Amino acid sequence: MKADPNKFPELNKTKFEQRGTEFKLGVPIINAVTIGNSIAVSFGDGTVRIFNSGQSSEPIKAHKGVVLSMSKDGDNILTGGDDGRFLKISLDGKINEIANFNSRWVDHVTANNGSLVCSSGKVVYLWAPNKKEPKLLEHESTIGGVAFDQKGRRLAVSRYGGVTLWKKDYTNKWKSSDLIWKGSHNKVIFSPDDRYIVTSMQENQLHFWRLKDKIDSAMSGYGAKVKSFSFVDNSKYLATSGAKDAVCWPFDGDGPAGREPICLPYVGNKLVTFVEPFPNENAILTGLSDGSVFLSEIEKSNNTIIIRSFTESEVSAIAVTKDCSHLLIGDMGGNILWTSIWDEENN
Amino acid sequence: MEETNKQVPVTVLTGFLGAGKTTLLNRILTEQHGKKYAVIVNEFGEQGIDNDLVVDADEEVFEMNNGCICCTVRGDLIRILSGLMKRADKLDAIIVETTGLADPAPVAQTFFVDQDVADRTKLDAIVTVADAVHLSSQLTDHHEAEEQIAFADVVLLNKIDLVDESGLEVVKERIKKINPFAKIINTTKCGVPLNEVLNLDAFSLNRVLEVEPDFLTSDHDHEHDDDVTSLSFVSDTPLDMEKFQDWFSKLLQTKGQDILRTKGILDFTGESDRYVFQGVHMLMDASPMGKWPEGKERSSRLVFIGRNLESMNLKEGFENCKSA
Repeated sequence: MKADPNKFPELNKTKFEQRGTEFKLGVPIINAVTIGNSIAVSFGDGTVRIFNSGQSSEPIKAHKGVVLSMSKDGDNILTGGDDGRFLKISLDGKINEIANFNSRWVDHVTANNGSLVCSSGKVVYLWAPNKKEPKLLEHESTIGGVAFDQKGRRLAVSRYGGVTLWKKDYTNKWKSSDLIWKGSHNKVIFSPDDRYIVTSMQENQLHFWRLKDKIDSAMSGYGAKVKSFSFVDNSKYLATSGAKDAVCWPFDGDGPAGREPICLPYVGNKLVTFVEPFPNENAILTGLSDGSVFLSEIEKSNNTIIIRSFTESEVSAIAVTKDCSHLLIGDMGGNILWTSIWDEENN
Repeated sequence: MEETNKQVPVTVLTGFLGAGKTTLLNRILTEQHGKKYAVIVNEFGEQGIDNDLVVDADEEVFEMNNGCICCTVRGDLIRILSGLMKRADKLDAIIVETTGLADPAPVAQTFFVDQDVADRTKLDAIVTVADAVHLSSQLTDHHEAEEQIAFADVVLLNKIDLVDESGLEVVKERIKKINPFAKIINTTKCGVPLNEVLNLDAFSLNRVLEVEPDFLTSDHDHEHDDDVTSLSFVSDTPLDMEKFQDWFSKLLQTKGQDILRTKGILDFTGESDRYVFQGVHMLMDASPMGKWPEGKERSSRLVFIGRNLESMNLKEGFENCKSA
């Protein structure tokens, strides 16, 4: 069903592409983070660019190699790189080096209410708000991911053999407990209602723990590793990549144990490589391995619209501005689309 | 787009502490070759390599939950290779240094098991640096030294200036007994052209076709049971595919721990193509590799490197696969 891109190029473009702005930057896009109505994008050459109103900033030279991870701290961007640096970058491009681990990569970064976290190797470094020296949280194996809960009182650290859950007690000391499941755990997230922790694994599956009673279970059946997953509509569903459908697990009520996921199919039979919840809706933006992006309502599988047609490069980043007016799509081939979500003439 | 989809070759560099791995790595990083190489070094590395493209790693061996009992992979390698593959500038090759006491199998298995690693990189060769003076005693004292020789595609026999000729022959014989396919290169201070250790494509099935059974005439003395040895078999009678698959898969399932490497070219009854495979423990890469060359005799060749091979009744098992 693929149209020949050399013929009728305009006909291949969606209305979102026609009214949007395309950037062909030729550098792999690693991540995108929303900061207000700006979107920060990190690249495989160590740079970060800020996109706003269809314009790109000059590239900010943050790292030497790859920007391995990116998050935000208020209105600032946090990045970790394969040059061993952990950086805080303002939207106008000022770089503040928080730590430098040299040839040790900074694999993961996150923040909550002024507390800054990065991981390098087996150690999590945690800076309390406005503190110069970090607290070191050590683990037995290399860290696969880090995530704060919504209040910043618990920090989940995924690793080989499960998750270490660090909790701040009332004397502000961090104490750890373990959530155990055999195998290597990568990315970790809390559900927005803080009831669940979910990890993706080296195997083609996810794992979840319900925190109130530590019930846990695997979510499996994927054809590829699950690299992108996110809760939708305030924890109602967990949308996941790693299959030819966007697989959405129900997390309302008693959670997904014993229940079937909703599978949203897409034309073209390509692998889903990225999922991003559409803010405040029971809907997701789905990016595929051929670069195409769709917007789908989870409970109405016939209600899917195409946002971007194929580019031949896998979608690696999607972000929506805070006011839900615009979105940005990036892929591993270095193509970016910035477009308005609503038809401006009709508004 | 073709260019970005190219798999980057990964060379695994093994060898005991002091054999000369760091000397070789420094040469790879500092010589003017116009290529971009990344080097992944372990935390117990010898010292003194400083370069933007040097990555520190902890050797972390992970068990996979896939029911394969000897399926272990290097978790750190999956993480670092995935990171390197996101770089905007493409690498010409990646070199992975392992610690002197590391088992090379999990490194090799990583390339069979992890789909992302297999999509973007390929195992090029296992290069083992050996110290001509100390190898014999290391082989006696440490099974890891034996494994490093057993897995090697190339053995850099280093420091040959420090042994006499007869001593050198003894060491070479010892290497050949463990692994008759490895190419042995004599060096002092790892002085070898880099094209003899990098970009060899030793794990491609095409290379298996070049395996020559010239060692077949050598007698197999009785070895200690846990010595690593090799055995090989040739048959001019075509094999029955079903019987072979049945025997071979059971063999790998039950004895895969002891079988370190296998290679083979197979002539199946009723098939016009050559079947070629190569494996590391229980994991295998296999494919038909085109027609048999015209005018040449068809024959099957099968090679094993491992421990306790004598106890596996390999000859009998192989004989039973011949078409009646």
